[in-house]
Amino acid sequence: MPETPFLEVVGLTKVYRGGWGLHDVSLTLPSGTIAALGGPNGSGKSTFLRCVAGLARSKGEVRLDGELLGTAPGPRAAIGYLPQSVTMPEASTIGEVLDFFSALRRADRRDLPLPEGFVRPDHDRIGELSGGQRHRVALAVALLGHPKLLLLDEPVANLDEEGRAAFWRMLRRLRDDEGVTSVVSSPSPSELRGVADRAIHLDDGRLHREEDLTAPADVTDIAPHPDTDADLEACS
Amino acid sequence: MRAVTAPGPTRVIASWEYRNAVRARWVLTMAAVFGLLCVAVTLLAFRTVRELGLTGIGPASATLVNLGVLLPSLMGLLLGAGSLAGSREQGMLAMICAQPLRRSQVAAGAFLGLTGSLWTTLGIGFGCAMLIMAGVARGSDVPAIVTLIGATFGVAAASVAIGVAISAVVSSRVQAISLAVGLWIVLSLGVDLALAALAPSVHLGPAGLLGAILLNPLEAGRILALLGTNFQGTALGPFGAYLIATFGKVGTVGVLVADLAAWTVAPLLVARWALPRKDL
Repeated sequence: MPETPFLEVVGLTKVYRGGWGLHDVSLTLPSGTIAALGGPNGSGKSTFLRCVAGLARSKGEVRLDGELLGTAPGPRAAIGYLPQSVTMPEASTIGEVLDFFSALRRADRRDLPLPEGFVRPDHDRIGELSGGQRHRVALAVALLGHPKLLLLDEPVANLDEEGRAAFWRMLRRLRDDEGVTSVVSSPSPSELRGVADRAIHLDDGRLHREEDLTAPADVTDIAPHPDTDADLEACS
Repeated sequence: MRAVTAPGPTRVIASWEYRNAVRARWVLTMAAVFGLLCVAVTLLAFRTVRELGLTGIGPASATLVNLGVLLPSLMGLLLGAGSLAGSREQGMLAMICAQPLRRSQVAAGAFLGLTGSLWTTLGIGFGCAMLIMAGVARGSDVPAIVTLIGATFGVAAASVAIGVAISAVVSSRVQAISLAVGLWIVLSLGVDLALAALAPSVHLGPAGLLGAILLNPLEAGRILALLGTNFQGTALGPFGAYLIATFGKVGTVGVLVADLAAWTVAPLLVARWALPRKDL
């Protein structure tokens, strides 16, 4: 039986003044998939995520569960987005940031699927946090409101080993328990081996190749990442 | 029992922007400077009033007019200009716009929150001045005070709206701030200097005079503020005198209020149009 596409991208094209951002990218992902979005710097990974999230104007169609994503805010409630870098107001506390985004999503932040202690206490100010701790707050924002599609731009770039392990564990649990679909960009998608079900490789704004990582034959050319393998062993 | 409804995105963003603005060091500094200047000019004006044997607060409130037009307009332009463009560079705007809301609500929320913070600042500054004025104010001084505060708040709102529009259109915070400062210089000084230079050779005529007022929200605010303090005097200048002669006092107030409202609404429409067309 063919897979029912949860995320359907058809002919996604983004042109910048300097050239192609994305060139006619089409792909489908079934519900409950973790897709590793790989490719060299400048290959269009962040642009792809921004276009799917509706943050950059593009040509083509993006459908979520059969519904066309346009400018209407409703369908975006199903999307959780993490930009590659974000600077939050330093004088704000973690609690204020989470309250703000919870109110925008009309979500209860007590339902966050993160382990206890992943984010520092509410009263800590953003300005007092390290880069990794700030990144954890941004990750928590992306997970507010139980989104069905997570678009995460290099989500573990600033995390320590413990944070990475907890994050991958959480991502797999969301996939297995809630059927959440995730597209996770990484300059080295091999890091996602054992976590991702599918690898999507972009190069120069084009879909270079797709691989089914659940099929053993398709993962042979992806080098194992020692840190991640150790993390995953620790998780299991 | 009434059902409790969650606040809409515009209100949530407005409250977020308000809180961040009143915490910003430069806003707090400007607020302190504005408050001190208000107190200083009021005390100086009262000293002059006493020396001349005059009574009432008229001269003091007249001295507050220029302060109430120039400084709040600069603060409003800077606050607005730094808002969306700054958030865009920080990645916060992308995170906000990825939520289930319309970008027009983001622009409206930013405007409301920043205007609220600026009005708070102005309220504190004027409040300090009013405490000093309270000892000598008469009942007949109330309209002057109300007009002054109303005009200042109107100019502040229009300035924030213009700043937000600039912020939505340009591509970087530096560009937005530069444009805002440039525009403030043009509106506060440049127009008057240009008109003074052109006056000997160019006859503006009624349409030109009206246009010179309506196209400059700072001038409209200044005349509106002065209407309460020196209706009969020469302080209104040629533009104010022309308006009074053409529309009468009530008509002039209506024209100027409508002009400031237009200078608030039109930039917000520009922001509403531009922001959804921006890549974040």
